[in-house]
Amino acid sequence: MSEHHHDHDHDHDHEKTVKPMVDEITEFEVLEIALRELCIEKGIFTAEQHRIYTEFAEQIGPTPGAKLVAKAWLDPEFKKLALTDPIEACLQVGVDWLNPTGSGTISDFHALQILEDSPTVHHVIVCCLCSCYPRPLLGNSPEWYRSPNYRRRIVRWPRPVLAEFGLEIPDNVEVRIEDSNQKHRFMVMPIRPEGTEGWSEDQLAEIVTRDCMIGVALPKPGVTTNVKTKTIPAIRPVGS
Amino acid sequence: MDIEQKIDLLEEISGSNHTWPIISAKYGVENPLPPWKTSLDGLCDALDRSCSDEEESSLSFKQRRDEEDVLSATRYANLPYPENQLVSLAHSLLSRGMISKEELGDRLVAIRARLEA
Repeated sequence: MSEHHHDHDHDHDHEKTVKPMVDEITEFEVLEIALRELCIEKGIFTAEQHRIYTEFAEQIGPTPGAKLVAKAWLDPEFKKLALTDPIEACLQVGVDWLNPTGSGTISDFHALQILEDSPTVHHVIVCCLCSCYPRPLLGNSPEWYRSPNYRRRIVRWPRPVLAEFGLEIPDNVEVRIEDSNQKHRFMVMPIRPEGTEGWSEDQLAEIVTRDCMIGVALPKPGVTTNVKTKTIPAIRPVGS
Repeated sequence: MDIEQKIDLLEEISGSNHTWPIISAKYGVENPLPPWKTSLDGLCDALDRSCSDEEESSLSFKQRRDEEDVLSATRYANLPYPENQLVSLAHSLLSRGMISKEELGDRLVAIRARLEA
């Protein structure tokens, strides 16, 4: 667009309205298509099943989880429901755990538990075995959550690992790590921070980031983004 | 089955400079993940669902993730995420004979020709 001439009047800049695109077919793009097509041809799954799960992967994110926490902070009755019948509470924020994709559960999911933090207990979630995560509520897990390094170390040295995320938990607060699995998922409900008095549900939801619901961060007025942390490769990978 | 055994076809792909950090920087694209990532997620979910009730020859969810962890830390340690997830999955499928090296090789050529047509 270096020579873009036109004679009409308007105040937008064409060079800024077109986002850059990749103009190259990568080896990885081709590999993904090839694996998918061969699996479909071999009858391992159908194209429709793949489409449904891909749609699911594209539409999930941490918004329902944040909404649930904000709603619970404002409504004691809803909070009680979230802690006693989380599946029912999730329906109120648009998540049907028993049919999140419109085609049944993703895995053999059985139970969800929402872990309420208190002034004396702080929760963190992990999946030591693989990377089970409350996807319908929080979206896809971050890369570091999948890493063997986080999974192995958070259960052994929770406080130092949380410190790597910039979260220092005082000694008088117990840290509990909950281990997820295919059947059982968890989500953290942090304490509503000071300085949010009179806030609306939407305002509160903005500070309930994905990391707060994993337990590696605490909600704070003005902080609406997740922590950036470097994924450290495993020194002793599983099976080595 | 030695899961870490070298597979030439995948060595070539993983050795290419087509990883998303390189490609996105080259074209000034801001998306943190490559556009094929959600399709890969769909593929993994569909595969996990399909293989959950089957016999040993298939790839269970746990095997898939364990092998991804091992391969991502060893043979494909040069790749970023999610390229390491994708290539590890291909490695697991090939190692079990669920897909043959020949058919994958042929398909890669055919798909590239199709996309470049």
